[in-house]
Amino acid sequence: MFGIDDPWIWTGYMFAIGLTVVAVIYGWWKWNEEVD
Amino acid sequence: MVDQSILWSFTIVYMLVIVFLAYKGYKKTKCNADYLIAGRNIHPLILGLSYGATFISTSAIIGFGGVAAQLGMGIIWLTVLNVGVGVLLAFILFGKPTRRIGQALGALTFPDLLGKIYKSSFMQYSTAIMLLIGMPLYSSAVLIGGSRFIETTLGIPFEWAVLGLTGITAAYVVLGGLVAVMYTDALQGSIMIFGLSAIMILTLVALGGLGSFQDLTNIAHLVPSGLANAGMTGWTSFPELGSSLWYTMVTTIIMGVGIGVLAQPQLAVRFMTAKDGRSLNRAIPIGAVFITLSTGVAFTMGALTNLYFLEHNGALATQVVPGGNIDLIIPTFINAAMPDWLVVLFMLTLLAAAMSTMSSLFHVMGSAAGHDLWVHLRKSKIWPESMRGSDEDRSKLKVNKIGTAIMILVSLVLAFIMPGNIIARATAMFMGLCAAAFLPAYTMGVLSKRPSVQGARLSLVVGAISWFVWTAFVHVKESKELGLANLVTGDDAVLGFPWTVIDPLLIALPLSVIALLIGWWLETRRNTALVET
Repeated sequence: MFGIDDPWIWTGYMFAIGLTVVAVIYGWWKWNEEVD
Repeated sequence: MVDQSILWSFTIVYMLVIVFLAYKGYKKTKCNADYLIAGRNIHPLILGLSYGATFISTSAIIGFGGVAAQLGMGIIWLTVLNVGVGVLLAFILFGKPTRRIGQALGALTFPDLLGKIYKSSFMQYSTAIMLLIGMPLYSSAVLIGGSRFIETTLGIPFEWAVLGLTGITAAYVVLGGLVAVMYTDALQGSIMIFGLSAIMILTLVALGGLGSFQDLTNIAHLVPSGLANAGMTGWTSFPELGSSLWYTMVTTIIMGVGIGVLAQPQLAVRFMTAKDGRSLNRAIPIGAVFITLSTGVAFTMGALTNLYFLEHNGALATQVVPGGNIDLIIPTFINAAMPDWLVVLFMLTLLAAAMSTMSSLFHVMGSAAGHDLWVHLRKSKIWPESMRGSDEDRSKLKVNKIGTAIMILVSLVLAFIMPGNIIARATAMFMGLCAAAFLPAYTMGVLSKRPSVQGARLSLVVGAISWFVWTAFVHVKESKELGLANLVTGDDAVLGFPWTVIDPLLIALPLSVIALLIGWWLETRRNTALVET
């Protein structure tokens, strides 16, 4: 992918982006949740 | 050389805005709770930006960016842990109970929180003492990183850069407390996001777009023989499994920093500044985007600098900088490859990164010295009457300000003593110590309904001692410098490979967890016996 052959590297990038998306969705989903 | 008039005008405007925000923070700080936890009423946007800006220091950008230039893109897994553990897990699993319990118990600092959860002065005092011993190492590393860049860019001698940076940060931390720290953090975080995004785009443009990754793959044969022998396979591939570089990359850089961040007092205290759980939820996306962007850019750009230096200097990044000092790679690249306005923006980005992290560390150290130790110890009759003060809020506020000023001075002195090539290592060391000593007790404290004080005490002591012993006698990069192993055995480390490259965290944290479980079990058994009799 983009000339990066080692799967450890591109899965690292995919995980980093994926977890960021999860964080954004979580924050949006729980935006008004009042319970701690 | 950058146009000095542009440079100074941007810097002066930045400093003026910082002064304005610091003044606002100062005006809002009316009592001790304002000074220590921003009155438990901080806005989610400021909380998210402040968390990110405190998390990401010059260490992440310059230090770990330099590591990426030397060892390649495998360090991107640190970004994965930073977001997964440092934001998602930290906010959801630790943040919410920390805020709730902190508010219920009236805790104002991280040591205070542990002390009140476990109803143990030992927990509060020992946590505070460890912070006062270990944290200056980290704050000085951050200070060195920021000052090095000012030295390179503004041409100001290192010593003056250290003094100036410390003086400005000290002024707003001492006077405005956590409100001023978090307001300025938010501005600094915004500058960092804008600056690093621009740098990533221009780096790719300068190197020929996304195709530059293929070019980086193609130069794997240029890996210096020393690094190749240690297991490096290229800049777009992970080091060879089981090699010494693999252990360093995985155990020290990725796991040491990635896990260590969970028990960072300067981050944990931010959870206590939130008004409610909803504020924490809203801060999560901001913190996550911030951290992915900032570390992702630094690590990717770091590796790509090799292409730039090969093309323009005919040598790899580590061969271009004086003495092979990897902390100089990113500043040198920015100065050489970026337009003037971006060099100025990057300088402000780094200033912002350094100041936001430093201010938070100064604040935590100051509150540990003042609120957690001196406020209690001053009651002893060994001190003259005039030093004991009173239990009034104003007196405690004054103590915290004095404590902060003293710890800033300690960091300043250390910055002149510590070796130059220390930024990334000092960061990893401090985070490892925090995780080994505090993480098991902190986890049990916020997640268990009946936390065991005996388990917490044992865990803290075993974690800290085992971390120190492994650092001083086995982990060769530190044991060689410290010389204790050599003094005792005549060798740089008392064990052989691979133990010498396994980070102290990976040994000390499991031992700390085991100690916690043993202490918990002993306490439960004793309590059961008491009930039966």
